[in-house]
Amino acid sequence: MADKERFLDIFRHMILIRRFEEAVFDFHEQKLFGGHYHLYIGQEATGAAVMASLGDNDRIFSTHRNHGHLIARGVDPKNALAEILNRADGTNGGRGGTFHLADASVGMPHTSALVGGAVPLAAGAGFAAKLQKSGGIGVSMFGDGCFEEGVVFETLNLARMWELPVIFVCENNTPGAVLKSAGGNNTSNLPEGRVMQIPQALGMECHEVDGGDADAVDLLFADCAARVRETGQPVFIEALTERWPGNYFSFPSMVTGVTRVSMAWDGGSISGEYEDWFREHDPVLRFARQLIVGGVATFGDIAGIDVEVTETIEAAKEFALSSPLPGTDSVHSHVLAGEG
Amino acid sequence: MTVMTHSEALVEAIRECMDEDPNVALVWGSLMGVGGNNDHVQHIKTDFADRIFHPPISEAAIAAIATGAAMDGVRTIFPMGTASFMFRAWDQIIHEAGAAHYMSNGAVSVPAVFHVVHGLRGGGSVQHSQSPQSMLWNAPGIEIAMPSCPADAKGLMRTAIKSNNPTVFIDHQKLNKRSGEVPDGPYDIPFGVADVKREGKDVTIVAASLQVVHALEAAEALAENGIEPEIVDLRSLVPLDEGAILRSVGKTGRLLVVDEAPPRCSVASEIVATVAEKGMDLLKTPPVRLNRMPVHVPANVALEDFVGPNTDRIIEVVKQLCD
Ligand SMILES: Cc1ncc(C[n+]2csc(CCOP(=O)(O)OP(=O)(O)O)c2C)c(N)n1
Ligand SMILES: [Mg+2]
Repeated sequence: MADKERFLDIFRHMILIRRFEEAVFDFHEQKLFGGHYHLYIGQEATGAAVMASLGDNDRIFSTHRNHGHLIARGVDPKNALAEILNRADGTNGGRGGTFHLADASVGMPHTSALVGGAVPLAAGAGFAAKLQKSGGIGVSMFGDGCFEEGVVFETLNLARMWELPVIFVCENNTPGAVLKSAGGNNTSNLPEGRVMQIPQALGMECHEVDGGDADAVDLLFADCAARVRETGQPVFIEALTERWPGNYFSFPSMVTGVTRVSMAWDGGSISGEYEDWFREHDPVLRFARQLIVGGVATFGDIAGIDVEVTETIEAAKEFALSSPLPGTDSVHSHVLAGEG
Repeated sequence: MTVMTHSEALVEAIRECMDEDPNVALVWGSLMGVGGNNDHVQHIKTDFADRIFHPPISEAAIAAIATGAAMDGVRTIFPMGTASFMFRAWDQIIHEAGAAHYMSNGAVSVPAVFHVVHGLRGGGSVQHSQSPQSMLWNAPGIEIAMPSCPADAKGLMRTAIKSNNPTVFIDHQKLNKRSGEVPDGPYDIPFGVADVKREGKDVTIVAASLQVVHALEAAEALAENGIEPEIVDLRSLVPLDEGAILRSVGKTGRLLVVDEAPPRCSVASEIVATVAEKGMDLLKTPPVRLNRMPVHVPANVALEDFVGPNTDRIIEVVKQLCD
């Protein structure tokens, strides 16, 4: 662990995402927004580490499970939380909601809630970067379920044929999921083998990484991003994360409770049904342990970051709750460009 | 009569048809959202395990597989979930399922059922709220059913499964859990026969799916103000019961059509155009369309309600129409 600031920054984003998602859960429990929704808990390491190597010219496209990607990219949690409550100060002016958080001002122009929808859009950003010689790359963050949609195969093939500077980051959260045959909702179903064999068959550079290990994702992604900028060739990364036990059915459930970061150093306080999750898989706790063992941070540093982040989220909650609803007139605006 | 939910009525129809015909197959997502403790669900799961296929997220391929199987007489029911997802399978439904009979000069038919859930659901936002009925109606060769209550849902689903045409069966998220009386035992409701859900003399309200429920609620309130609407529930768009619409307009002289698709080229436009062509002289006042506004559906539930047709807006429009 060489770069202390970089690691602390990644950790700060991870715990920020965790506290953010806990707030979203709380808001949904209070019926402050309608419909179903998805949390990024358990996948924080991937999003936070990926964004650490991306710059202003890069474009990132996300899915229904987008909250963590925006927070990691640096969107203010105030505006992200306001969007989830569909308020006027939200990233999308309140009209997108949880499925569609996006922010063009930070290079996240559009978020598709349709499975596989965002994958070709990221290739389009790579196409534009190539044409405009911007030095940027396209990044698609997407779930393993996307491999069931044909458009994803078409996109991988095109990215190879047209030599597009894109990184496809498949966040495979099926490991550890209860299978559909047992009443659960794992999200990818291949008769055998691995999703990675599909881009491999197209001759694409492919990597697998433990998506719950922030350090490993950071090392790999930084290296890939540098190479894609250099060669202009696409890369595929499969980030495997253990499924968070709360991601079970359509609605998440906070079975693992509000995270206590002290579990990272106080192993004796861990017990119960989800002990294995806390000890082995929770990426926030894993990274906190790594930072402590590696001498990058002390217990006190970690606890201090958590306090800071918790205050940020408390302020964001207040901001979001006091932000007005968009007026009824707003529904007519921006159907077509040029009409206001 | 048994009281059951809209979804349960559909599952009962599917169970009966699978019992009656070994050529009926099912693509099993979560079956209409009806839980495993339902008798029919259990029966389908255990007795027809060899005719159930678990779907990956592959709308286009599954729609075409259902179509290909239907060409050989396997009547495949494909519940696609949210109607927005069927756009992935647009080509397969319009160009393959909808065209095969015509292209084969009548030699091939496609008895497949595509079930979708349309409309404003309470937080579906832009990409989970589509009402594809008018887009589908623009494509020849596809039957379209849109029930408004459990009893109709069951009878129409039986007809959809037995039909030799591809049927898009359009339900509404907000109908799924509504209950109603359903006649016991098997019965079919033919397509192309509208149902007058309420008799009235002052204005005809034509609707389908959830908007029939809204129209019935509005009629209660309007009746208290001395306005008696007649409500014509289309039940199927293809075939369309033009006679029932014209008969009712002949009686009331006024027409309102309520439809969740945006107004241009919508179901409401088509009904109004039909009445203009065939019954202009029956109208005492210009007909009115009440649609979802021609905008995307915002995430906020209050704004979602604002852009859609609803009970209050029907009341308002009918009052103006009868003024
Ligand atoms: C085209 C389409 N079909 C179906 C759905 C319903 N749906 C929403 S999320 C989801 C599972 C997605 O799995 P994955 O891509 O692995 O993402 P995860 O939720 O596991 O992060 C499905 C089927 C959808 N949104 N879009
Ligand atoms: Mg997944």
